[in-house]
Parts: sequence; C-alpha cells; structure tokens
Amino acid sequence: MELFLQSIVNSLIQGGFFALWAVGLVLIFGVMGVVNFAHGELVMVGAYTVWLLHAQNDVPFLIAIPVAIIIAMMIGLVMERFLFRPNRTDPLAGLICSIGVLFILQVIAHEVGGTGPAKQVAPPFNQIVEIGESLRIPMQRLFSLGVAIASLGVLWFFLTKTKLGWALRAVALDREASALQGININRISMIAIGVGAAMAGLAGALMAPLQNITPHMGHNVIITAFIVTIVGGVGSLSGAVAAAFIYAAFHTFVTAYFNGTVATICGLLIMVVVLIIKPTGIMGVKVSE
Amino acid sequence: MGITRRNLLRGTAAGIAVAGTGFSTQLLAGQKTVKIGLNIPMTGDYAPWGLPGLYGCNIVANNINAAGGVEIGGETYMIEPVGYDHGYDTEKAITGYNTLRHDDAAMIMMLGGSTVGSIIGRAQRNKMLVSTLLPSDITPDTSNLVAPSESHPLYNCTGVDWLADNFPDAKSAVIVTTNDIEYGQQSAAVYQAAFEARGIEVLDTNFHGFDVTDFAPIVQGLLASKPDIFCMATDVYTTPLIEALYNQGYEGKIISCTLDLYDEVIAKTSKEFVEGIIFQFPDFDDPALQSDDILFPDPSGFWDTFQKDYPGQWSAVAWEYPANLVTWVSAAQAAGSIEPMDVLAAMKANPNPPHVFGTGKWWGKDLYGLDNCVVGRWPVVTMQNGRARIVEFRDVGAWLDKNLDILKRKMQDLGLRTV
Repeated sequence: MELFLQSIVNSLIQGGFFALWAVGLVLIFGVMGVVNFAHGELVMVGAYTVWLLHAQNDVPFLIAIPVAIIIAMMIGLVMERFLFRPNRTDPLAGLICSIGVLFILQVIAHEVGGTGPAKQVAPPFNQIVEIGESLRIPMQRLFSLGVAIASLGVLWFFLTKTKLGWALRAVALDREASALQGININRISMIAIGVGAAMAGLAGALMAPLQNITPHMGHNVIITAFIVTIVGGVGSLSGAVAAAFIYAAFHTFVTAYFNGTVATICGLLIMVVVLIIKPTGIMGVKVSE
Repeated sequence: MGITRRNLLRGTAAGIAVAGTGFSTQLLAGQKTVKIGLNIPMTGDYAPWGLPGLYGCNIVANNINAAGGVEIGGETYMIEPVGYDHGYDTEKAITGYNTLRHDDAAMIMMLGGSTVGSIIGRAQRNKMLVSTLLPSDITPDTSNLVAPSESHPLYNCTGVDWLADNFPDAKSAVIVTTNDIEYGQQSAAVYQAAFEARGIEVLDTNFHGFDVTDFAPIVQGLLASKPDIFCMATDVYTTPLIEALYNQGYEGKIISCTLDLYDEVIAKTSKEFVEGIIFQFPDFDDPALQSDDILFPDPSGFWDTFQKDYPGQWSAVAWEYPANLVTWVSAAQAAGSIEPMDVLAAMKANPNPPHVFGTGKWWGKDLYGLDNCVVGRWPVVTMQNGRARIVEFRDVGAWLDKNLDILKRKMQDLGLRTV
C-alpha cells in the first residue's frame, strides 16, 4: 500500500513535468506547423539558468525561475523571428533549423558550464512532508507539482477565456482562414512560441534541483514529449496533458513494481498500441483532406 | 553584424567543428616529445569518466616535464597528453583513434566498452598499445589491450567483504544500476557474487536506462523489500539516487562503486546522511595514500594541484588515466623504447607490475581469456565527517582466486561473456 500511494504521488509529479514539456511542443507545432527539435534544449536552458544563478551565484531560487522562463522565451522568440518565420512555407526547413539550434544551445551550455560532470542544484525547499506513517513527499517535489498545475491552469484560462487565446487556437485550426479574419499570423506565432518556450524554461527551472543537469538532458525530454504528443493526439493540448499524466503513471508504476528498463520498453509499446488502435491519438481528431 | 539565418548556420557549423576537434595541452617546441593519446568522452553522459582523466594526465605530464622530462633509451623526452573527445560514440572513437595514431601517439588510453570494441581490431593490426579501464574489454584476441590501473568492476568485491565483516547483521541487499552491458551489468554481477559469497541475499536488482528523469520510483520500488543494504553498482546517477534515499528516510547501509562529487551529494542531503557510505575511490590527499608502498607519484600534491586547477572536476578516473601514464613511463624506461610493442612487452615481462596501491599481478585468463589486466589490493573508502577516507585495503586477486566460480555464474546469468 505504501509503495502504491508513493507511486501515485510520483505519477502526479512526473505527469506535471511531462505536461509542461509536451504542451509547449504541441502549441508550437499546432500554430506554426514546425516540429521544434530544440524544445528539449529549451528545458535544458531553464535548468542551466537556475544552476548558474541559484547554485553558482546565490540568486534566490524564486527569482531564478522567472529569469529562466524569460531567457527560454527570448530564445524561442529569436527562433521564430529569424528561423521559423522565413521558412514558414517549408516545414522541413524549420525542422532542420531547430536541429541547428539544438546543437548551438548544447555548445553554449558546454561553454557556460564546462564539459565535466553533471551539474547539481541543492533543493531550496528541503523539508519532507510526512502524511501518515508511510507517505514521505519532499517539499521541492510538491512545489514543482503545484507550480506545474498552476501554470497549466493559467494556460488553459488563456487559451479558452481570452481573445488572444481564441485567436491562437483559430490559427492552429486553420491559418489561412484566420488570416482572412484579420488575425495577425506573425504576432500569434510569436505568442505561441513564446508561451511554449516559457513552459519549457519553467519545466527546466523546476527540474533543476531534482536531477542531473547536462547539456544533453534535452534528449530525454524531447523523446518523452514526442511520445506524449503522439499518444495524446498531435495538435491536441488537452490530449497532451491527459497523455502526460497517463504515461507518467504507467512509467512510474512499472518502474516501481518491475524495473526502469521494462518501463521504458512498455512506454514505447503504449505509443505503438495507440498508433495501431487510434492513429490520431487518444484525443486527436481526423482531419479530412 | 546582424543575426541572420546564414550567420546562425555558420555558428552551428563552427560549434560542431569545435566540439569534434581534439584538445591538446601546451606544445613543447624544440624538445623531443612523446605523445600519449586519450581517446575519451569529454562530453555527454560519460564525460565525468573521461575529461578529469585528461586533466590528471596534464598534471602528471607537467610535473615530469618540469623535472626535465623522462629518459628513455638514452633520449630525454617531454610528455604530451593529447586528448580527443569521442563523446562515447563508436564512430567518433574510430576517428579519434586514427587521428591520434597519425599524430604519433605512443599509447592510446580509453575508458572502455563499445568505444574500445570499435577500434581494437585496428589497434591489433596497427600494433598500437591501447589501455582500458574495463578489463571486461579484454578477449583472447586483444593482446595489445591492457588494463594496468583500474580493474573495474572487480574491485567492488572488497567493499562488500569489508561491509560483511564490519556489519554482520546486514543480511539482505538490493542493487540498482544502469542496464548497459559494459558498466552496469558487469558491476551488478560482481556485487551479486560478492553478496552471495558472504551469505547476503540479493532481494532485487533494478536495471534502468539512461532516460530516467525521476529516481523516486526506482528507489521506492527497491525499498519496498526492506533491504539492509542499498547498493549502487555502477551509476552515473548516484547523486539523485542518494537524494531519493534521503527523501525516503532510508536508514540502512549504502554501498556504491563511486561517489563522485560527494560535496554535492551532501549539499542535497546532509553530512549525517552520507556518513558511512561505502565506496571504492579515495581522495588522493588521504593519509593512507601517503606511504611508500603507494606507487603513484606524490598523491597529495597531485590532489592539491587538481583541486586548484580544476575545482569541482575530480571524479573516479582523475587518477586512473594518469596511473596508466605512469605505468607507461616505467615500462618505456624498462624497454628503452617508446615503440608500442616494446613497451607492451616490458609491461608484461614484469610478473608483479606496479599498481597504484602497490604491486599487482597480471590476471584475466580465467575470466576474459587473457592475462592483460592488473589486479592488486584496492582501497575500501567510507564517508567520514564529510570526507572520503580509506578504512582498509583488500586484495582483489585473493577474492578472485576464492570466488571466481560464483562470479562466472553470476556473469553468465546476466548473459555476459566469460571464457
């Protein structure tokens, strides 16, 4: 029972991270039609920023987080303006540009942090919350979960309750029709990548005290984000969030009750099964030609 | 100059070119120089087991050169370590090997595993001397491949033996490690054998990949069986694993192959929590290493220089590549030549070769098919008041003589190669 309860908590925490990774990717893909391979590196940028500011220069963690978000967002905006926008008619060019950015960001991380061992950030919140006799949850993980859920809530509000959010969703549905309605596509693209990159930066900042920080940590992020995106339904934000929590729960329980290798294999099997049974993903819709 | 797509692409190309280029230490113009290649990972997940070794070699080489060089066969040579970053990629390892060979390296040092596998055929044909930190790379066909300093993961038996002697109430263990054949599974087999040899039951072994982003489920799954001992066989993720143990309030014994950057582990947990963790890699300012039977030049001075020049970069390999370099120097002097096969012959001619922690013996035929790795005594290290300190040296060779059958069985159970 103890392991079961712990695994539920771990699933929620992991699901929060997976959702932050995936919604940014989905948003950018939906609005701009670009598969941003550098999305994992935007997460890495967030983590490195917290390491550099908080762990190396004693900047308070709660200040380092917004700085990480802003830096990731700025990188995203530069990518949109100078790489994706000129290649808007050619999705392949955008993809290749994002791979280029991936390498550039990794090299910059090497230059900033050196090429040695993985960086570590001591948890700013190091208390342990004990519930009953068996459940122990580090405050740092609870904090991350809370911020992740709050951020997803703000994003949901923005997309569903504001005119800008409606415009963004409209562009994701049909770019040309949206333009005919007077929606500024360039501006909406900037907002989409800004929000997506900010989410990635936030995820990296929150993860920094919880795992090894390396220039290559984005690899795992992008693979997981792709799995979640495909399982949820490409282009579906709600699908991505649902898939993030389902995938996290599955991965966590299999890891805890079997082992990490089996969990990885089974996680990929989930994706394959979903693609066979419902190729559009659990909440994706088939678009007619 | 404004930021344009063209400029960014140029920057990318330049970045890749920089990342793929070998690094070298200062050139010593006008002197006879012998180059020692390091074809190692300086970037990526395995960087902690590569780059610190180059730093260490630079220190040892600088010390040798500052003392006027080394006399080999009547000639005085300066030592120049030359690094190539293969990022633990087999294709790059081949490029690194070719680059270093054409750069006239007298020996090529490597970390081991698949990167060694990718070049060792060439090394055999080219008569190039190659060193590895993984004796499991040795096969009957790899006569040019030696493991003269580190007998990973065989030495892990000494930590378990010491634990069993000093904590006889610890009767059950769980093991966590990466699922790769080269490091994780080899090490898990040794730990499983060492635990069995001392009557300690292994309740569970969790192999995980390099894609783990949360170690809490792994640790909680293993702790569910209430083990007396938590063992990290070979893991680049010791810090998050120990942090997860700390978060769970684990109170049993912890044993690990390595505990690199333990200051950061303490920062994430507490000095009290890491107290008593058993592992295998000492700090080189350890008082136990300052005696005459330690065959590494000035361990304390080496440690001080490393900490000053490369703060926060020390890892398990920081002294191992330099130890290979020291071994090469003494063998080259004995051979009176820098020719790789002459040096190899001189190395193998000594039945009790020098080893960092004393003399050892050539071993490996009964397990790998060739006596090309040196086993000797190895330190058992524990955390004491926030520092890594040696508690005892134990004999790896004696353990292997007694328990080789168990080890072979455990390796075969995991599908690992034995003779």
